[in-house]
Amino acid sequence: MMQSSELTTKAKEYLRIAKVDLVIGYLEGTTKDRRRAGFIRSAEEADNLVLDERCEDNLAVYLVKENLLARYKKVAIFLNPAGIRTINVLASEEQIEADKIVILGFEITGGDVRILDGESVDDFSELIAQLKLKAFDSEQMADVDEIDSLDVDKRFEYWRGEFSKCIKCYACRQACPMCYCNRCIVECNQPQWICRSAHTLGNFEWNIVRAFHLAGRCVGCGNCERACPVDIPLMKINRKLGKEVLDRFDYFVGSSKDQQAVLTSFKQDDPQEFIL
Amino acid sequence: MKILRKDKLDGVFEKIRANGFDIFAPVENEGNSRYAKIERADEISFDMILPKGTLKEIFFPRSECLLRYKIAKRKVDVEEADTPNDKRVIFGVRPCDAAGVGIDDAVFSWDYRDDSWFARRNNTIVISIACVKSDDFCMCTSVGSSPDDKRASDVMLYPLADESGWSIEEITDKGREIISSVNDLIEEAASEVALAELASVPVRFEIDKVTSWLNNRENFDSKFWDEISQRCIGCGVCTYLCPTCHCFDIQDEGDVYSGVRRRNWDSCSFALFTLHTSGHNPRATQASRWRQRIMHKFNYYPEKFNLISCTGCGRCTRYCPVDMGITETLERINMFEQ
Amino acid sequence: MADNFEPRIIAFVCNYCTYAGADLAGTSRLKYPANVRIVRLPCTGRISPLFLLKALQKGADGILVSGCHPGDCHFISGNYHARRRWSIFRTLLDFLGIPKERIWFSWVSASEGRKFADLITEFTENIKQLGPFTQYDKLIKEMSE
Repeated sequence: MMQSSELTTKAKEYLRIAKVDLVIGYLEGTTKDRRRAGFIRSAEEADNLVLDERCEDNLAVYLVKENLLARYKKVAIFLNPAGIRTINVLASEEQIEADKIVILGFEITGGDVRILDGESVDDFSELIAQLKLKAFDSEQMADVDEIDSLDVDKRFEYWRGEFSKCIKCYACRQACPMCYCNRCIVECNQPQWICRSAHTLGNFEWNIVRAFHLAGRCVGCGNCERACPVDIPLMKINRKLGKEVLDRFDYFVGSSKDQQAVLTSFKQDDPQEFIL
Repeated sequence: MKILRKDKLDGVFEKIRANGFDIFAPVENEGNSRYAKIERADEISFDMILPKGTLKEIFFPRSECLLRYKIAKRKVDVEEADTPNDKRVIFGVRPCDAAGVGIDDAVFSWDYRDDSWFARRNNTIVISIACVKSDDFCMCTSVGSSPDDKRASDVMLYPLADESGWSIEEITDKGREIISSVNDLIEEAASEVALAELASVPVRFEIDKVTSWLNNRENFDSKFWDEISQRCIGCGVCTYLCPTCHCFDIQDEGDVYSGVRRRNWDSCSFALFTLHTSGHNPRATQASRWRQRIMHKFNYYPEKFNLISCTGCGRCTRYCPVDMGITETLERINMFEQ
Repeated sequence: MADNFEPRIIAFVCNYCTYAGADLAGTSRLKYPANVRIVRLPCTGRISPLFLLKALQKGADGILVSGCHPGDCHFISGNYHARRRWSIFRTLLDFLGIPKERIWFSWVSASEGRKFADLITEFTENIKQLGPFTQYDKLIKEMSE
């Protein structure tokens, strides 16, 4: 894989010339098919970086953990297109300064790694515009449509079954770069809006709130679904809402770092066919 | 040598059920697996290494009601939850899962005897099957456990080489009783029957070396903790899927008229776990939380109960979303110069 | 469905328009079913989806959310924000299997006492037709087990 080594070489070079003082990339994991996040601070260590089709996790989640960016001048980070869009969302929500980030962009298509040109988030506007055009096509939405085609009672039963598995480990939340609240609503108990317990109602409420809080903010990186230890298909919900904001409000999440969140903005002529 | 044949299982279950027991066993259901109630033997998944859910869930459910309250005019009615009295036989338990429950007996009977834990313990019979398979994450032999760890098992079954059943070892009186209750379905083999070879799980670190490093107070502030936990995202997967992690939170759900008090699992991985009302958090970083988890299992618990609070099931690494886990941390410690 | 089923309906309304509209219905002696419990909030922008979840958790059979017509918001844009939020939230609930028919949204101005009374009458009739919201029953029971 000539191409992917180009990117790890670039990361090494950035550290050598001190363009950045941290690289967040991928390292080999515990087993052959696992990759893990690595925090690389010197050019020597950068030799351990890998980039291949198993590098799926959106590493941008680390940018909002424990105030990481405050400890470094500039951070280079390996990101796929969903990860790049994450930078836009986090920048627009003033969680990170986009100019502290050097993007090492790549795309995995059909098992191959393709290197993306550009390093600041604005360099990828054209790429994101292209993504918008083919976002949520019928192939991607097939499993969502399948649920939509069920009766409302059947849908409820389907999700009741899925959510009854939830153990409230909050891996979905912790793995999500958009879930950076210091105190999550599920942990607030004055008043306590939704049940903390991992009984099915509590799980149902938790998952409704999680999904709604990500509506118009989810870039579809899939971190939550991969993290879920009991395999709840969370991306079906996220994709459903992602398509909804695109169809109704022509809003593609993470299009630019100046984009206002869909639920904190409005147009006077927004559709309102459901309001009596 | 007593032999239980696979084709006799349904008959055995029927008899046991007739004595008022529910049968639980590892089952797989769309990517999720746990010890769950079964009706027929063919529901049991014998192939998986381990179910995702542990045996502790049977005795210490992820959420359970402690009491219910009602508030009327100047009157508060409190009704305590019934002590659980379901009789259960758990069949096909992995020895590391059973051992975890044995380890937790110590903490649940320490300064306070936990009624619901022991009510369930007393009403439950654990029939374990010694492991003949292991995967890259199993590490029971590194922490003093083994593929046929007998702790908290009432009966241990050893798979026969021809896969037609198991040889029976009765461990406790409860175990002997349940086996004698199905005696007519048990074969008495005249000669020795060949047993399958048990899983050979490599020893990954020297536990004494690790615990002595942890016991050195200077290492409490080692930079190692920051480094090893850098990629931890602070979720509760490792703790909730751990066969020994037993921390809980007590939560009231309800309003000024009525409600319930529930006991829910809690995790030392969460920042909220140690957050004070003042806003101060004594474990402010994820590194300090990961250190706590390791120290609790391999230093505090051994100090208090003379038991290592880990059975080497490997779930923490197997299911970690960011590829961390106890094994790697202890392997790294093992490599340090003393 | 039992003929004597009296649904519990919770209405989250804004102070400046729909609440005033409800008030007008009252002072105009317009009759509407007593099944509705009105919760008055400063603005539709203040109606958090959490309120709706709480209502369902506490056994509501139907929920009405209502505020000022577009352009009439006392706080200028609260209802525009609410409108976007509702449309997504409604899609989400529907996808998860909580019927849309149980949650209605409306604009009722301070002068529309008649509209408010008619709306409540129609909504109550509809919910009576649908019957009690039973999907949560099993889950609510499980809460105290």
